[in-house]
Amino acid sequence: MATQVTAMEALQKELDRLNRTPGLSATVDKVDKIIEMLTSVKDQIIQSGMDTHVASMAITRTQNPIKSTFEKINDDLKGVTATQRKLGKMLDKHFPLKDLPSEHDAMADHEPLINRAISMHLLREGQFSVASTFIEETGDAVGFEHVNAVIEGQEQASMSDNYDDEAMDEDHEDENDDEDEDEDEVVSPLGVLATGSGFQQLQSLSSFQSHELEAKFSQMYTILQDIKSRNLLSAIEWARNNSVELEARGSNLEFELSRLQYVWLFKGPTVNGLPDDKFNGTAGALLYAQQNFWRFGNRYIGEIQQLANAQIYAPNLPKSPYWKIFSTETAFADVASSFTREFCSLLGLSAESPLHVAVTAGALALPLLIKYQQATRARGTEWTTTNELAFETPLPERMLYHSIFVCPVSKEQTTESNPPMMIPCGHVLAKETLQRLLKGTRFKCPYCPAEGLEKDARRIMI
Amino acid sequence: MADHEASKINHDNHLLLDQPLLRLPYELLRKNFRSAHFTVEKESTTLNKLLKETAKGSLDSKTSPEDVVKDLDTMIAKMRGMKRKLSTYADEETRLYKQLDARVAHLRELSDMRSVEDVKYEAWSRKRLDRLLVDYMLRHGYNTSAQALANEREMHDLVDVETFLTMSKIRESLENGSVTEALAWCNDNKKELRKLQSNLEFLLRCQQYIELLRINTQSKSVEAIAHAKKYLAPFQEQYPDEVREMAALLAHRPTNKDLPPKYRAWYSPDRWSKLASTFVEAHNKLLGLPTFPLLHTALSSGLSALKTPACHGTQKTTSSSQPGHSHTSMTTSVCPICSIELNELAKNVPYAHHSKSHLDNDLLCLPNGRVYGQAKLDEYAAKAGLAEGQVKDLVTGEVYSRAALKKVFA
Ligand SMILES: [Zn+2]
Ligand SMILES: [Zn+2]
Repeated sequence: MATQVTAMEALQKELDRLNRTPGLSATVDKVDKIIEMLTSVKDQIIQSGMDTHVASMAITRTQNPIKSTFEKINDDLKGVTATQRKLGKMLDKHFPLKDLPSEHDAMADHEPLINRAISMHLLREGQFSVASTFIEETGDAVGFEHVNAVIEGQEQASMSDNYDDEAMDEDHEDENDDEDEDEDEVVSPLGVLATGSGFQQLQSLSSFQSHELEAKFSQMYTILQDIKSRNLLSAIEWARNNSVELEARGSNLEFELSRLQYVWLFKGPTVNGLPDDKFNGTAGALLYAQQNFWRFGNRYIGEIQQLANAQIYAPNLPKSPYWKIFSTETAFADVASSFTREFCSLLGLSAESPLHVAVTAGALALPLLIKYQQATRARGTEWTTTNELAFETPLPERMLYHSIFVCPVSKEQTTESNPPMMIPCGHVLAKETLQRLLKGTRFKCPYCPAEGLEKDARRIMI
Repeated sequence: MADHEASKINHDNHLLLDQPLLRLPYELLRKNFRSAHFTVEKESTTLNKLLKETAKGSLDSKTSPEDVVKDLDTMIAKMRGMKRKLSTYADEETRLYKQLDARVAHLRELSDMRSVEDVKYEAWSRKRLDRLLVDYMLRHGYNTSAQALANEREMHDLVDVETFLTMSKIRESLENGSVTEALAWCNDNKKELRKLQSNLEFLLRCQQYIELLRINTQSKSVEAIAHAKKYLAPFQEQYPDEVREMAALLAHRPTNKDLPPKYRAWYSPDRWSKLASTFVEAHNKLLGLPTFPLLHTALSSGLSALKTPACHGTQKTTSSSQPGHSHTSMTTSVCPICSIELNELAKNVPYAHHSKSHLDNDLLCLPNGRVYGQAKLDEYAAKAGLAEGQVKDLVTGEVYSRAALKKVFA
């Protein structure tokens, strides 16, 4: 750490010094001087009326000054090269070149997939104009214009209904509903992009899908912009239109937003800057609650009670037990991030840019990868060709998205072909481990005195 | 495996992806200097010589004052030409120093951070991603996008647009069947290419020869032979087999019906795209640029580190996502590998190795075999407004009595 600071500072110092040395611009000035000298010789000769003596004297006399100016230019160049060499040495010392994996590029044949990931990243970052330039330049948009024009009209009409429809189907869908997806694809082109089956046939982001995504993300940005300027209405409307989906996700976004709206109104015109009328202030908040909170049924009864109680303390809220719920310091930023997460999740997208997460994780894991590669180079095994990495690449907690179960006996991660099995005592082993432990149809738990029958072990999903 | 240690920024190794950031402007600075130096040496020698001759002629009265003035005009014109060239080099030098300054400043920002959880790291890492994206776009010739992104993010000094645009032009000219630009580039970098033992120039000369043979007329054949004598013969020692094959091509024209495959290959239009990639390879090597886009390196490594067996499984878990199936996750974010952007791409790399389980506390197994941490079940039950003593499966939505749950010891 400390050494790195010094290294970067040393580099900076070296650079500053380089900038101060007369560089190539100094040589330009000296060439100018030579031009001046030559011009003045010419002038002298012309002014003398083409006198032979003047001509030979002037031209002879100018030889040495020009020669020495060239020598000075050479000295300048020597200075430049010396300092540049020093910079090179500093780079070698503080920033030594380290080999990157160069033999095998696992990504080489997947340009269309990478391009699509980039397009989607740019769209989700709100870089709409760069995204459309990129989609056009990569040629992903070709051939879809017609489809686009036809479907877009229909889509606009059914866009908001889409999720509700799907959500209603939800109740009679089960584990094996993947087969039904072909039907959905016709209805929801975004679904084609998102669901496993349709997605595999897709090599690139079509113009239609990109427009669809762009429309979605620009909706997201509009709403986020509203939240930023303390206007929750568009967010609440979105949450309401998608309430079935959100509820099923266990999201309380709609309530979170409505509660904040209540609090915001409660604070009154001096804080929220909204018109001073019956829809604002404590009375306005109460009206809002009466008109809206019934939607939540019994689900947030406790929280709603607290909001109502606060009415009693209205004039002296900061001293009340409810002050905390009424603090809006981070509330808007909090709902904005809940909103982004839910919005992306309903599109089947992760809330943070996967490309960003992957590249950050990549930078963290790369040193270990290189270390491993150097160690195994002699054996000629490529790390990219195995199923599982042979070495650990620790990531920060927030970059772990799935539960991981490592069998305590075999030390192997469980997979679909070697799933975790729970035995009657509650201990969990990988299936292959269990099979190795079997004596006939019986086994003994390696962790407790319990014995069990093979048929009593059950596959679990962690 | 996740631990606090994993969030620390290892400064000795965190900049592996950023090596060309300082190396490239440094290499360009050296190259620029060498060109400037060459100009100065050449022009100064010429001028001193001219000056000496004119002075001598004038003293010996062999050169009239009128001719002295004429010679002076030539010299002045030469110096003006030299000044123009040097000004270009001086501008390039200024630009490169500005780049170096900006880049060192960018890297210094990182040296103040200790953990990837630092909020400033987020911004820095985003900038790095933007840099890698521009690099990727430039290497693939998506030049308009690259410039648009660089402009949008105001990071011109952090990306190498000019270098890659030049490269792009030469590559495209090769793809369009022209060797002129690539040969000029070889000439500019003669010494360095020799050091790298690059066969690019030889291959370009071969291609010129092949194109003459392709036309298959008497006069072109004569031209081809002259070309071979002048440009291919000097490579005799270095590439004896290829030079012999070139000679044999004289008797093996593309119109021959039974042309052996090894000769036919030389006439193939594929040669041009091969030349283009040979050029790109030489170009990148010469400037110390990685062979493939850094984004590829970052992605292969990152996708692997993030990938789990569940990411391409057929079973739904709390972090996977399938829109249209709403019961995906409860307030958790979708896994980036499960997310549609990267899922297909991640099929091409191994999944991460874990030696320790990473599980919630107090695991409970539902009658359907799905396992969740108690806290998550409680939270979900509360949010769903379930009656006391009931829980709901986070993925499938099934409701069970708490009495039916079994403790899991994993
Ligand atoms: Zn046991
Ligand atoms: Zn995943």
